[in-house]
Amino acid sequence: MMNLSRSVALISLFLLPLLSFSFSVDNPTDQRVLVLLDDLSLKSSHSIFFGSLKSRGFDLDFKLADDSKLALQRYGQFLYDGLIIFAPSTERFGGSLDSKSIADFVDSGRDLILSADTSASDLIRGIALECGVDFDEDSSAMVIDHSSFPLSDGDHTLIAADDLVKSDVILGKSKIEAPVLFRGVAHSLNPTNNLVLKVLSASPSAYSANPSSKLSSPPQLTGSAISLVSVMQARNNARVVISGSLQLFSDRLFRSAVQKAGSPNKYEKSGNEQFATELSKWVFHERGHLKAGSLVHHRVGETDEPAIYRIKDDLEFSVEILEWSGRSWEPYVADDVQVQFYMMSPYVLKTLSTDKKGMFHTSFKVPDVYGVFQFKVEYEKLGYTTLSLSKQIPVRPYRHNEYERFIPTAYPYYGACFTTMAGFFVFSFVYLYHK
Amino acid sequence: MVKSTSKDAQDLFRSLHSAYSATPTNLKIIDMYVVFAVFTALIQVAYMALVGSFPFNSFLSGVLSCVGTAVLAVCLRIQVNKENKEFKSHPPLGSYLEYSYRIWHQNEHLQILYSATWSSTWSSSTSSD
Repeated sequence: MMNLSRSVALISLFLLPLLSFSFSVDNPTDQRVLVLLDDLSLKSSHSIFFGSLKSRGFDLDFKLADDSKLALQRYGQFLYDGLIIFAPSTERFGGSLDSKSIADFVDSGRDLILSADTSASDLIRGIALECGVDFDEDSSAMVIDHSSFPLSDGDHTLIAADDLVKSDVILGKSKIEAPVLFRGVAHSLNPTNNLVLKVLSASPSAYSANPSSKLSSPPQLTGSAISLVSVMQARNNARVVISGSLQLFSDRLFRSAVQKAGSPNKYEKSGNEQFATELSKWVFHERGHLKAGSLVHHRVGETDEPAIYRIKDDLEFSVEILEWSGRSWEPYVADDVQVQFYMMSPYVLKTLSTDKKGMFHTSFKVPDVYGVFQFKVEYEKLGYTTLSLSKQIPVRPYRHNEYERFIPTAYPYYGACFTTMAGFFVFSFVYLYHK
Repeated sequence: MVKSTSKDAQDLFRSLHSAYSATPTNLKIIDMYVVFAVFTALIQVAYMALVGSFPFNSFLSGVLSCVGTAVLAVCLRIQVNKENKEFKSHPPLGSYLEYSYRIWHQNEHLQILYSATWSSTWSSSTSSD
């Protein structure tokens, strides 16, 4: 018994240095990434993408999808911070991996890149469905577009897409000029789901159908409802990228020149490499990750935080928000962070002003209602982690000696009382001493 | 018909005027004081009609002190009037002292009334929104 506990302690001691090389609150970029492939030749056919990840410091662990020793967790600790599944035709994962363990992986706040291709197995579809993404039910369907294809392609299944989401956080500051080449399956998103987002959409002339057979009925998925690449940011800020094409990440499409049919612009290089690199920076938390310090509030003119406010007090509120730059915490600059003074509904809603060094502040008057309020900062900007901060503070009414001593509206009445007194005295004199 | 009623009104007013000038001076002083007190009360009522009844306690204290002193002055006038057979035996000074006492007593009532209505205005002002 003693020996067993001692060996467990020894093993966990070995794992301790392993555990420190993972993402943490102070360093939110992922470190160790497990890459699942269904064919080891993907290592060389997608070498540019994997090379760029390695050069940014990621620790990639390549494994076949049906490797029997696959595990995401050991002894309750996760072994990886990120997961890339480039195994579109795998029916079953090896080892202890299945769609439930991958769902637990994302639930713990870890990130995922999932890619289907011209065929997507039920397993991959199921994982995508957990993340809110619906692949086309027809397993032989591909995205076809007869007007947005590159001139080099023959059968219009290779798409040149340029309908990208307008977000500097997700796709980087520099605009992706060249179209992104895509060949694969279509997926759609539930419009009521507010956690998923289309990053690369198909053009209005695209549709999803089997390219080698004649269409017997109009296709179900058409136009801009087709998403080619989508992202999901979960409520615990885990990020998932789901792509309908594995070839989008391949060296061949990274290097190929593009000229879109009907457009005079010829690009030496497609936008794929920039697109994939920027997206991987976003999904592995190198960009767009916010951290907030504590909320600080006090009365105007004081520095200590009071335990209770009085109605109609003037108070100042500030919060510090930092943004992770990939290496260090930088001050976050934005003009749309708001604070609510909330009790069942916001009584005060103010936009915070920033000093560009990460401090956001404002001042306002406590409303004329007493009760237990909360300072609430609920910040959900596209592509950024959600900030949900709150701090409770009670508000009391006036004490009996804090009211004004003389009410200005009542001055005539005070005057009337005094003139009555004076009148009484004058009357008494006149009445008693008249002759 | 109209002419006669206006003439009647004029005759009435003239006879009242001449009858009133015959009253003794001390009663006229009391009458002036009553008019002054009622006038002050009416000003306060007009002010309340303009700005509303907040703070009601102050309004009450102002009006009631004026009205009360007017009423007590009328009592004094009744007691002091020589033509009034009931009060022949009362000395005028005694009536005045009684009047003063009543004024003081009324003010004491008003103090209580004022503070009672003041505490009710606390709760009404804080629960107003």
